[in-house]
Amino acid sequence: MSEQSSNMVALMEHAAKALVEKPAEVLVESFDEDGEIVLEMTVSEDDMGRIIGRQGRTARALRHLLRAASMKTNKRYELEILE
Amino acid sequence: MPIPDKIAAANKINEFLTGIVKHGGLRLKYRITVDPPLPEERDWERPEILVEFAGPDSSLLLDRGGEVLRAIELLAIEMLRLPGNEHEKISFDCNNHRSMRIEELRIAAGVAAERVRKTGSPYEFAPMSSRERRIVHLALRSFEDLHTESQGEGSRRCLVVYPKNYKQEGKAR
Repeated sequence: MSEQSSNMVALMEHAAKALVEKPAEVLVESFDEDGEIVLEMTVSEDDMGRIIGRQGRTARALRHLLRAASMKTNKRYELEILE
Repeated sequence: MPIPDKIAAANKINEFLTGIVKHGGLRLKYRITVDPPLPEERDWERPEILVEFAGPDSSLLLDRGGEVLRAIELLAIEMLRLPGNEHEKISFDCNNHRSMRIEELRIAAGVAAERVRKTGSPYEFAPMSSRERRIVHLALRSFEDLHTESQGEGSRRCLVVYPKNYKQEGKAR
């Protein structure tokens, strides 16, 4: 039973777009790697700092959010932020 | 300094959370209050925007000491681009977890103060976030025979309670 469809790609895209100066350049793609789903995120080079955050705190917060939301999907997700 | 446009900030938070809840498939509802009523004497954290979550998926937010609740709060604060010292103007809570934690910290501060007075030795708290350390600093501010200080770096930074003249004595040796 899942009337609400969780969408991890849309979730990460939505969160990233809220954080950056150039939301149009946010791209999240998903790849299935041996049962684990890897989300690859690309943002404008100028926005890299905003996505990573001081001492990596923003990136860590995105991963915490992904981990919590993905618990309902019964799949493992990993967020990779591409340089 | 207050948040320049609180209504606009609250609307942005609402838009942000709508997407998080929807895309995350989270069974959560939330209420955003601008300038929530607070007791006059409250001298720690006086949020100007309070977000309160509730619902069947609350436990996802509150796991591991509210890790995900704090993550979403941090993302919202980053999104609003508030200057560093304005972070406390935004507070996210869920099932009163945060207000309970603040109460817990204030009680712990009192217990630590008692112990330092009794033993004359410093007391070191477990590592905490800057916001939590601030709660303890403020709770002990009026204790004139003690002083508090943060030590260590990054995620290991913790607060230490000292007897007033402890440090100077240490250095004199």
